[in-house]
Amino acid sequence: MHDDDLITLVRQSFTGLHATTPVDQILHRGHAVRTRRRIPVLTGALAVVAGAALAVTTLLPGGHQPTPQPSTLPTAQLAAWTVTRQADGTIRVNIRELQNPAGLQSRLRADGVPASVTLTGQENPACRPYPASAAVQNRVLSITSEIIPLTHQGPPTSPPEPNLVLVFHINPAALPRGAGVQLATSFTPVRPGLATSAIRHGLVYASPQCTGS
Amino acid sequence: MGSQQRDFAEFYRESCDNCLRAVLVSVGDQDTARDSVDEAFARAFASWRTVSRHPAPAAWVVRTALNANISRWRRRRREVPMPDPGLMADPAAADAADRSVDPRIMAALLRLPARQRQVVALRLFLDLDTARTAEVLGIAPSTVKAHLARALAALRDTIPTPQQEMPSCTTTT
Repeated sequence: MHDDDLITLVRQSFTGLHATTPVDQILHRGHAVRTRRRIPVLTGALAVVAGAALAVTTLLPGGHQPTPQPSTLPTAQLAAWTVTRQADGTIRVNIRELQNPAGLQSRLRADGVPASVTLTGQENPACRPYPASAAVQNRVLSITSEIIPLTHQGPPTSPPEPNLVLVFHINPAALPRGAGVQLATSFTPVRPGLATSAIRHGLVYASPQCTGS
Repeated sequence: MGSQQRDFAEFYRESCDNCLRAVLVSVGDQDTARDSVDEAFARAFASWRTVSRHPAPAAWVVRTALNANISRWRRRRREVPMPDPGLMADPAAADAADRSVDPRIMAALLRLPARQRQVVALRLFLDLDTARTAEVLGIAPSTVKAHLARALAALRDTIPTPQQEMPSCTTTT
């Protein structure tokens, strides 16, 4: 077979494969990308007001707790996280601060999500990764960052502070049989007393020891 | 819809299929390819002023999709084991994973080394010339030619020709 014939044969074998995502969905996702790019700037702004209740708290592993700084701005009354069941059956989790993982875990389990939540830098050793494709994982669990304007109790003329919130969308109906959700924090020390943190998320095998059921 | 969105939408309609095909050849898994391509097009729209001036915007999308796939793997490797590439080299497994592509040809492509697959993807599905392919992959043009020659030779050995597939019409009496 000549090269041209071979190339034609390979090309023809893919003619049945088409992208199916509507362009509107791509445009919407593109706008989200632009928003994500603006987040580091606003995160820097949050760092300036460190000590106020607006900043995302970074916890260090035991014995390395950062020294609390005095607040100089009015403190807003915010929960560290909130869990909201949406009309379509999905569950939205807003995380503002990495606190009270046991409470978040209990709340998710009460809402029917087998979940393991460890926000202390260590994963539950009883949890084992559940093998699933990226597409399956994305159907169950997605994460975005949103800047939500926050009304605080400051002077009426002061503008709302930007509030960085990590938003998880969990779709319990898309969970594969025998799977649960794991949220776990990882820490990367930058210098003594300071670490960057990230929340890893994925699917794990559901079990009483790991996800409670 | 603004002119920028119209331009991007036209680019998407013209190139989305070939970008998906090129990325699928490189990553071997249709779900991963679709997600990576969607993310790459979203990033292209987010930077459309720059990407639209790129000499080969579709190549930018494919390169970005492949990078996104690597980033995704790095991010999730502790949570989710990746599928075994060797499994995908099995025609039956390839068929189960992706029924919209001829499974024998997909299996033959997946047996190629990753770099040869990337060269094939860019040359065959994006119609890039040797110089542009070399630029996108960050390798020398002569290396592109060598990879393509080896890839075509390997494919020729593993893909059955139409003549080989035809049932014999001759019978002996």
